Amino acid sequence: MELYLQFGYGMMEHSRVLVQDWGGGNVILSPRDLSPVQLANLAGDLQALPEGEVLLDPQFYLPHSNHSKLARHAYWPNGYSTGTFYSGPPLRTLISELISINNTLGTRAFILPGLYATDFTEQWLSTQRAFLEESRRQGAERPLYQTIAISSDVCRNNENIGRLIGFAESYPADGYYIVCEHPREAYLVTDSTWMSNLLDLAAGLKLLGTHVIIGYANQQTLIAALAKVDAIASGTWMNVRAFAPGKFDDNSDEEIRAPTTWYYCAPGLSEYKIPTLDTALRVGVLNDLSCPAPVLPEVGRLFSGVQPSTLGLSQPTSFRHYLDHLRRQTTGMVQNTFDDTVEAYETMLDNVENLVTNLRAHRIRGNPRDFSEAVAANREALAALYATRGGILRRRWGNL
Amino acid sequence: MLAYIAQKFPELTNISPLDQGGFKYVLSVSHPTDGENVLKIIDPSSAPERIDREILASQVVQSPRVPRLLETGTVDLPFGECVWIREQKISGTSLRTHLSLNGPLAPSGTLQLTQQALEALADAEKVKIVHRDVKPENIMFDQEGNFWLLDFGIARHLAMPALTQTGAAVQCTPGYAPPEQFQNLRDEIDARSDLFALGVTIYEAATGKHPFRDGATSPPEIFHRTVIQAVPPLVLPLQQSESFRDLIGALVGKRRDLRPRTVAEALEWVNEIIAAESLGEH
Repeated sequence: MELYLQFGYGMMEHSRVLVQDWGGGNVILSPRDLSPVQLANLAGDLQALPEGEVLLDPQFYLPHSNHSKLARHAYWPNGYSTGTFYSGPPLRTLISELISINNTLGTRAFILPGLYATDFTEQWLSTQRAFLEESRRQGAERPLYQTIAISSDVCRNNENIGRLIGFAESYPADGYYIVCEHPREAYLVTDSTWMSNLLDLAAGLKLLGTHVIIGYANQQTLIAALAKVDAIASGTWMNVRAFAPGKFDDNSDEEIRAPTTWYYCAPGLSEYKIPTLDTALRVGVLNDLSCPAPVLPEVGRLFSGVQPSTLGLSQPTSFRHYLDHLRRQTTGMVQNTFDDTVEAYETMLDNVENLVTNLRAHRIRGNPRDFSEAVAANREALAALYATRGGILRRRWGNL
Repeated sequence: MLAYIAQKFPELTNISPLDQGGFKYVLSVSHPTDGENVLKIIDPSSAPERIDREILASQVVQSPRVPRLLETGTVDLPFGECVWIREQKISGTSLRTHLSLNGPLAPSGTLQLTQQALEALADAEKVKIVHRDVKPENIMFDQEGNFWLLDFGIARHLAMPALTQTGAAVQCTPGYAPPEQFQNLRDEIDARSDLFALGVTIYEAATGKHPFRDGATSPPEIFHRTVIQAVPPLVLPLQQSESFRDLIGALVGKRRDLRPRTVAEALEWVNEIIAAESLGEH
């Protein structure tokens, strides 16, 4: 499983540096956060790097909102009306413009537009089909990845998952780009139904022999390795680590307001504010929060014995630390067999639980980015997947 | 009645009743060239479309594990014009009778049942036929120890329109039909529906226990259990015990997408298990 970068606000330099440092990587570009010129320039920069690749998320989730930053792109329709859009020239124009932009950017695959579903309806399915069929008709000359953008309620309904997979069987795409709203706008999800269904959906699509990407992901999404998902995509700020549809609604609040710097403790899948590291130093457990080497020098200094908050860890550094360690975890998650992957994941959760419990016993908490509350949801999702798809995953693991 | 039938079918001899149920009279007969056969006479009060479907299914499913349809026609009987079907006779007993008389199958027999029933269903899948009523009553165990799939009476051809509407009452056997079938979600019924019924049949044949019917007092209760209750893992003393457990566990997935995608895939799976078992013996 790979980690793709989910492009978001302020990620231009991060993308270039990380793809270079990693010796390659895939960035899912965000038209909302990049002007047409920036899109082209960044795509060019990334592809000039060894193994640098890009994908374009058209972010056609809420076309009615006509978000001003999306509307500046050539593919965005001048007027969007549900009644006529899918039966006439507007759909053809949207797809042809998107194909043109994908050609210009040199994307590896074509991520199809997909409406954000707050209800699971036949109408929504018919728009999904329309996007797919029109793209096929026009010949995008690259793999077609269907976007599945759904609300937390849609994801929580088991029947919807079966119907989504059934739809994918009837109208097969080459891959799927799943973006799923978190329940109650939580960063780390404690709802085991949601987590089980997301994993079930990913596994069901993967078993169809397709390429599966889970977008807007964070450390909790490492569980996708159990479904042998091809990639999860994550970024810097929370709004690219958890799908927030409001980001694509022009009426929503703009940009990032929280200046807090968080330190990612990879072994605990948890993040802590820098002042919390000061407390950890005082109570003698700071070292428990350290990450396996190598770490960025600025991050390594946090554990030198000097009061962490006096070292002025910058936000960009904390982001790179997060993404670098998340990538290491992501790429190391899938094992040779399904059972080995399950065992490795359970061992990781056990270690997380022990570590975080010990830290909490010392009053060291990462709320709301402390993984302790999320462990149960992930364990239950694992149990459900194991019971329902374990046999088939075990048999087909080597060929997925 | 037998004399009347003998009169209508002068070329047939040794006519004797085998079974009567639903809309069918099933007779054992001898044909001068085809030897011992089964003659099915279908009551004219049954829906003609269904008769056509059964005949069509029997004609198009070409399988060494499904009795061959030899001839069909109509005949005037005292209760009206009836469709008749003459087909290959399998000498043996139904799996239901065999289980009642002998108890659960041995592990090797369970493997053979799984393989041969999947062969029959895979041949049906090739021509888009869904049997929709796989159960021990519709599987024959012949004198050579082979299993045959019988009775495509409620089969559906996936390329043809359904005879019932979504939500309408549907023919199925409680305890074997998967949720999508007894809920009559006709767009979701495909060959994987048969995989579910076969998985339950195999579990019952191997253990003598029915995961949904035992202790249930009514069809609604059986349907409810089918939805909410898991089939326990089937662990047999085989070298490939885990893989076989996984296969049966996959067949009885509550949703069709939790089962093998095709019967062919399930057949390939059991063939791998049998091959590995055979290797282990040497």
